[in-house]
Amino acid sequence: MKIGLEIHVQLPTKSKMFCSCPTEGEDVPNSRVCPTCLGMPGSKPVLNKRAVELGLTLAKMLGCTIPERTWFSRKTYFYPDLCKHFQITQYDTPIGERGEFKTGNKTIRITRVHLEEDPGKTKRVGDGSALVDYNRSGIPLVEIVTEPDISSPAEARQFLSDLLAAIRNTIDLPDDGTRSVRCDCNISVGKERVEVKNVSGLQNVENCLKYEAVRQLKLLKAGGKVERETRRYDEERKVTLPARKKEYEADYGYIGEPDLGTYRIAEMAQAIKVRETPTAMTARIADQYGIGEKAAKQLVSTSIGLAELFEDMAKATEPRTALTWCTGTVSACWKQYVPEMKDDVISVVKELHDGRITDTECGIRLKSLITGEAAEDLAQASGDLDALVEKAVDEHPEVLEDYRTNEKAANRIIGAVMKSSGGRYSSAEVVSAVKRILDSRI
Amino acid sequence: MTSLPDLKRINDRYRMFTAVTDSTEYDGEFVFSAKDNLTTYDFPATAGSKILEGYRPPFDATPVKKMREAGGFLAGKTNMDEFGFGTFSANSAFGIPLNPYDLNRSCGGSSGGAACAAAVLEDHVALGVSTGGSIVCPASFCGVYGIAPTYGRVSRYGLIDYGNSLDKVGVLSTKASDLSRYLRVIAGKDPKDPTSCAQPEMPEALGKIRSVAVPKEAVQGVSKGVMECFNKSLEALKGMGVDVETVDMPVLKYAMPAYYVLATSEASTNLARYCGMRYGQQDGDLTLRFDDYFTSFRSQYFGDEAKRRILLGTFTRMVGYADRYYSKALRVRASVISEYKKVYETHDAVATPTMPFISPRFDEIADMSALDVYKADFLTIPPNLTGMPHMSMPCGYSEGMPVGLMLTADHWREDLLLGAAIEWEKGFRIVKPEVIA
Repeated sequence: MKIGLEIHVQLPTKSKMFCSCPTEGEDVPNSRVCPTCLGMPGSKPVLNKRAVELGLTLAKMLGCTIPERTWFSRKTYFYPDLCKHFQITQYDTPIGERGEFKTGNKTIRITRVHLEEDPGKTKRVGDGSALVDYNRSGIPLVEIVTEPDISSPAEARQFLSDLLAAIRNTIDLPDDGTRSVRCDCNISVGKERVEVKNVSGLQNVENCLKYEAVRQLKLLKAGGKVERETRRYDEERKVTLPARKKEYEADYGYIGEPDLGTYRIAEMAQAIKVRETPTAMTARIADQYGIGEKAAKQLVSTSIGLAELFEDMAKATEPRTALTWCTGTVSACWKQYVPEMKDDVISVVKELHDGRITDTECGIRLKSLITGEAAEDLAQASGDLDALVEKAVDEHPEVLEDYRTNEKAANRIIGAVMKSSGGRYSSAEVVSAVKRILDSRI
Repeated sequence: MTSLPDLKRINDRYRMFTAVTDSTEYDGEFVFSAKDNLTTYDFPATAGSKILEGYRPPFDATPVKKMREAGGFLAGKTNMDEFGFGTFSANSAFGIPLNPYDLNRSCGGSSGGAACAAAVLEDHVALGVSTGGSIVCPASFCGVYGIAPTYGRVSRYGLIDYGNSLDKVGVLSTKASDLSRYLRVIAGKDPKDPTSCAQPEMPEALGKIRSVAVPKEAVQGVSKGVMECFNKSLEALKGMGVDVETVDMPVLKYAMPAYYVLATSEASTNLARYCGMRYGQQDGDLTLRFDDYFTSFRSQYFGDEAKRRILLGTFTRMVGYADRYYSKALRVRASVISEYKKVYETHDAVATPTMPFISPRFDEIADMSALDVYKADFLTIPPNLTGMPHMSMPCGYSEGMPVGLMLTADHWREDLLLGAAIEWEKGFRIVKPEVIA
């Protein structure tokens, strides 16, 4: 089975791609429009440079080759939500070509990355008529096209999920549902390929591919032939249906967009620094500090900021100590952490590393630093907690034995302390104290 | 200056306006008109098309805005071929402007109304638009000065598009000095039109043309009467101390097909938006499906020439044909540009007659095929295809009808043309038409 995806992501710019209308705001239909994004006669597009920067950042993240110059094209088709009846997109000079993206152990090749404008939205209303809202018209989109390297619907979902996480991290795309992600899914079980247009959301992509794979398999088994065609996905009924004939016989008649010139992007791209993707960061940290994939993943998935703190702390002390405190006390009060605390946090752990303070003192001072609670109160509470843990460990000597070979044995102590402390401490605090004490005893 | 009541009476006779101001007196330091494909907030803008009838734009085109800011009073919108598609202003949905020298003849096109207004109104500046010769052709037929500047010299913001890579806003007037003064008013970078932002500044000083090249290819197929005027003009130029030399520019013959491919390709995408939604006419049958609605709507309201160009342009963009036509036309444009550049190594300008014949009578126009009409533009198309500034100056009369001399200069060298016009005016007297108000 071969699957290739065309992924459309709205870019988080303040204004639209070719005019100054805001991309976000009150959701009153047709309230964020102007002559340009309504395609009124005489209006002209002016390119939003930020959209190009964001597009280039993604093209670089995907390891694409970036051309010296780029320009835009007109893709002509008649649809009521496309107000000029042509879409400004990129045809012969996409901002990126021939990239790749790793998902799990697999590398998916990226054919191209290009920029284009979003059309408006059509809403069908009962009586056979429809309403059009142009608030979305002109919002910048990046389209990422993959080679047919994906081999199952589940893999497609995993790929999309990893890709989106990487995109969110790279260009600070908010994960709040305001920026939609739409896919055109190409799938072939036998020789002929079928395209399912405009599927939104991970779950729908997986479901639509599953349905389409089964449909094609059944057809082939029954001795039928899969037609090369464009279909659409019905989210309610979870089936794919043939699209209207006109939609797949379209000849878009591309020509260059003469209102926008050519843009030298190679230099612009060079100046852009791409943030490491979470996947790449995990792999690098695991390798560079020798802490293993699992610990590295725990750091990165809690927060990129925590992983960065870990790196600096590991350099100031050593990786094991940094890992213990970053996944322990610091992680337990991560919500209250702000980046300005970084130097102070590291210097506390450095004092411990230099042997000037004890584990307990270190824990209290870190927690006090991050949460702002008085150290004396924390010392009291911590003393109480430590005493409870010590007592539980004494009561269950067999756990200590198991713990040497199986970390999960700690759960018995954790459960006992949670119970005996009556909810005075957060589970993160208890976990951190139990591990520290068990580690010190073995 | 022609009074407003007189202007309205004159318009009844020559039909050069699609809309005239309601005011009874002028409010401003000078009076100007705008071709009807330039948007203004105070007049409808139809671009000569039924499909835009009643459209009131919500904004001023940048050139109009700049003219107002310079103290201009906008008297009205001038008639034109639908979307600029024509050579005689006979393709307007709102009547045909009549030539002030002979009411049975055309004003030329597509800025026919603008040239007519410049010719018959006293102290009037007309803003015209040229894609393939639409300023110099009517300037020639109506006996006025008309300049189409370098592509990108004047902002196109607010210009209803025909061929975006070819469209230029320019000035027509009976006075050479007006061309210089008002082209400077409307020129300049405009952040609302990125293609205007690459221009170097226009020099304050007027340039001086010392030598002109006359391409052999450009004087073949020109009528005897026009040729006589043209040859006299060359003699006059020599008298002014200008060297005149005949040159070969064989690539010019490819300019016309390349122009029509590019212009119609772009036009067919620009006209896609007119579908009876959002602006202009919207009186179609709403019970139809969208495809049927806009198809019936476009069938009803586009004129024949607009339909012909949509079909031509759609064909040249189609998969399988784009390489043969659209892409090849782009390469031809590049080679025509380099042919001109070669000439500018040794000459300041290229001189030709503006049009190959004097303005034809309407009965003659009715007998011309579409191809005959296209061919009439063979002299004006090359400079337009290259985006180079070009100007028509009145240079004589044949059978009582004006004849134009066209000069083309290198990109951004309007100063040479403007300087030449001012010098030319010193030695050439316009024979004004008898205007009956």
